[in-house]
Amino acid sequence: MGINAERADGTVIAKADGRIDSSNSREFHSELEAVVADSDAALVLDFEDVAYISSAGMRVILLTAKSLQKSGTKFALCSMDDSIREVFKISGFDKIIEIHHSQAEALSAVSA
Amino acid sequence: MLFLRADTNSEVRKTSYNELADLVAAIEELGEEDGWSGELTFRISLVVDELAQNVVDYAYIDTPGDVEVAVTSTDETVVIEITDEGKPFDPLTEAPAPDLTSPIESRPIGGLGVHFTKTLMDDVEYRRESGQNRLRIVARKVK
Repeated sequence: MGINAERADGTVIAKADGRIDSSNSREFHSELEAVVADSDAALVLDFEDVAYISSAGMRVILLTAKSLQKSGTKFALCSMDDSIREVFKISGFDKIIEIHHSQAEALSAVSA
Repeated sequence: MLFLRADTNSEVRKTSYNELADLVAAIEELGEEDGWSGELTFRISLVVDELAQNVVDYAYIDTPGDVEVAVTSTDETVVIEITDEGKPFDPLTEAPAPDLTSPIESRPIGGLGVHFTKTLMDDVEYRRESGQNRLRIVARKVK
């Protein structure tokens, strides 16, 4: 698991990769916190290269969504494969966090 | 019958979590060898991951121990039995039902693992027997 972040036009695009589970969810959380620290830029978290996420990773997503909502920062997710999308759906997170098919759609949604 | 064993007997919980990741990788490998669909492999590996993590976090919260995972594959189903010798813990009744509808600010953290199990498996059963927690989950190969 790792996160690669780049900034473009007031948005941070963070691309996670690998598997997000109980063995690395703390690391995922601290990397994500480092990405959003000292910035009020909108965040797009790209799941294209994420192969797996368990409830330990979903916990981090929810904590991040809560903290970004508190600071009024826009947040969107994108490019999930079907199984990851299913995990978000079962968790009911698709009702509270924006999920887009492509990074381009997510970017235009958070910059709107 | 295929048999896997994840030894979570470790002072450091992090080590147990790394072993869980190995266990899940072993399940996925097994699914590939046995010809499971990608969707079935995903459902089973996620559920085994969640249930075994519960064992580490609750049944073995005071004293770590072994988690045994036995997988039986037939033409129509995959049956998985997860056994531990920790303190009595029935995740199916003791884990609170998750809140799936409240807004972000009041959405509680946690409770999703057992919810995944109930949603993704076709049958789930818990028994306390001979000082062991025994969970039996069944996934149909064709929905």
